[in-house]
This record gives sequence, structure tokens and C-alpha cells, in this order.
Amino acid sequence: MFERFSPASRAAVTGAVGDARDRGDRRVGTEHLLLAVLREGEAEVLLGATAAQAREAAADLDRRALTAVGVDTAGFTQKGPAAKRKSPAFGSGAKAALSRSLAIAVAAKDKRIEPRHLLLALLERDRPDPVAELFAALGIDPTEARARFLPR
Amino acid sequence: MTDDDLSTLIGSDDPAVGLRAVGALHRLAEQVEAAHIALARREGWSWEQIGDALGVSRQSVHAKHGKAR
Repeated sequence: MFERFSPASRAAVTGAVGDARDRGDRRVGTEHLLLAVLREGEAEVLLGATAAQAREAAADLDRRALTAVGVDTAGFTQKGPAAKRKSPAFGSGAKAALSRSLAIAVAAKDKRIEPRHLLLALLERDRPDPVAELFAALGIDPTEARARFLPR
Repeated sequence: MTDDDLSTLIGSDDPAVGLRAVGALHRLAEQVEAAHIALARREGWSWEQIGDALGVSRQSVHAKHGKAR
């Protein structure tokens, strides 16, 4: 399947794996994919949100979740990457989004999977997938966003 | 224990929030672990001493943190 990915999409997927590993996550999730796809530029314009905004919104969701269970991490700053030498595997949501992006590209008669196909697949994820929470935190309505750039 | 008692006890009645907190804590633990193992190594701790401090085997801590990527 990966041979169908355009160079930008491939960079996004590789970037998502690297991010997950450096942060110490056990799986590559849909949130990692979104942040990496946004870094590829095209998707930022389509979505109307920047990678930096998405990263900050995700960090804010983390802080709020920790506060909700009574943990205050205000004094913590990351000093370096978590030393996970093995690259984490894809979580089931991320796997589903990747194969869905292929179906979307095929349906659009595009030869390659572009970042926008990945973005569309991520926009289809329903709650409680964390990426759906992240879209909500960014003030993005996934249904509306998909409708906005589907007829192209 | 009623559901209300449980919610008070764990601080959140939304599984999405609670599970997100668990993920964030795991991430935090990994980052703190990496930073402090690097510090211990610089100060001359053996893998065995680090493993003992963490409650894991020397082998498992070395396999995870042994070589720079």
C-alpha cells in the first residue's frame, strides 16, 4: 500500500511514526497522523488550521485531561526525546485511516495518495477517536470541512 | 460503590478524558525516564543499578536505553 503514497504523504506517515516514538507513545495514533499531515503544508490550507495550532490544542487537551484526574503537570517540560529505539506500531484508528485514504484516492481517480486524502480519512473518524476530539478543540466541524474540499 | 462515588474517586466521568490522561501520563513517564537514565549514566551508574532503581532487569533497561538511535 505504501507505494501508492506520494512523497509528501510518505513523509507525513514517517513523521507521525517519529513523533510518536520521540514522545514515548506506545502506538502511532490518528492525532500523530494529523499533526504530521499538517506539517506537509497543503493540508494546513485545506483545513484552515496550522500544525502549530493543532499541536497546542492537543497539548491543551492533555493538560485538561490530567487536571481532570487530579494531576498537575504545569512544572514539567520535556527535556529530550523518550528513548524508545523501536518505532511504535500503528494503532487501529490510524491503520483504518491509512487504508481509508487509499479508498478515497481510488474513488477520486487519483493515482497517488496525497496529504489531502489522508486529511479526508482523518476527518471521517468519529468520536471517541482522539483526532475527532482534536478537530472539535480546533473549532473544526469535520462534516463541513469534508464538504468544503470534496468537490474538486 | 455507586457510579457517582467512582466518578468522584477517579476525578472524571468521561472515559475519553480519563483515558487521554492515562496516555499523557505514560508519555510523561517515558520522557522523565529517558532524561534521568541519561543523567544516571553520565554520573557513572551501571545498568544494573539503574534497573534496580526502576524495579526492572538490567537487560530490559539496557535494551530500551542502551544505544543512541
